[in-house]
Amino acid sequence: MDCKEAVEKLFLYLDGEILTPQERKDFEEHLRICRKCCDKFDFEKNLLNLIKSNCLDTPLPATLVNKVLTVINSF
Amino acid sequence: MDKTKDQQKKLFQELLMPELGALFRTALRMTRNREDAEDLVQETTTKAFSAIDRFEEGTNFRAWIFKILTNTFINNYYRVRERDKLPSLDEMEEESAFQPAFEGISPEQALLNTLTKEDIQKAIDVIPIDFKSVVVLNLVEGFSYKETAEILDIPIGTVMSRLHRGRKILQKLLWEYSSSKNSTEKGKKEEWTAKKQ
Repeated sequence: MDCKEAVEKLFLYLDGEILTPQERKDFEEHLRICRKCCDKFDFEKNLLNLIKSNCLDTPLPATLVNKVLTVINSF
Repeated sequence: MDKTKDQQKKLFQELLMPELGALFRTALRMTRNREDAEDLVQETTTKAFSAIDRFEEGTNFRAWIFKILTNTFINNYYRVRERDKLPSLDEMEEESAFQPAFEGISPEQALLNTLTKEDIQKAIDVIPIDFKSVVVLNLVEGFSYKETAEILDIPIGTVMSRLHRGRKILQKLLWEYSSSKNSTEKGKKEEWTAKKQ
């Protein structure tokens, strides 16, 4: 796998999508030998984790739980 | 055998409660307003329970309820005029000219170090809705491309292209936020150095 192909596959790999076991293996092998792609992959992975963790950290308002239960019980 | 109303309520509650946090944070990113987000989740609950007969037990409840949430948002909360408040898509997709210049670390590491929760949430909030919905469902909530396509009723290819563009817009905004902070820090540092001399 060359750099062009690795960049095309980067997000599919990160998102856990579509790649066959062979494609995953080829992608991982490319990262082992290419510093530039490896750095890009690490950056995208860290950025994705940062985005995810900061968005997931949104507390659920306690009042909403009660409001939702009231909605269900109103039926 | 048909379930009684009480059995339906019990089952619905068991399925809904573990998803409530995810529904609220998704509603919050979409409406950009806590009050509207709470209303949207309540409305979603009402619609979902009213349609519970159409939900097949054992299938993907999470995707089903998120589909109701996103449809309810588009039909009842999203106003076309909101598009006018946003920068144009071309403008948002331009390559960022900003490169934070921290000493001793790469611009990428500087970006990761300086971003706050507020920056990230603010950036997602301003992404145009077609891209934001894919970004939130896929990147934040972890739905697969296929599930995202089903929730939004669009082809998988469209999910992939919107995700690609959504990521690009999001990164551009984050580079800009990081860069403006860096400029402020740099200014303060220069001011401090000048005072010292």
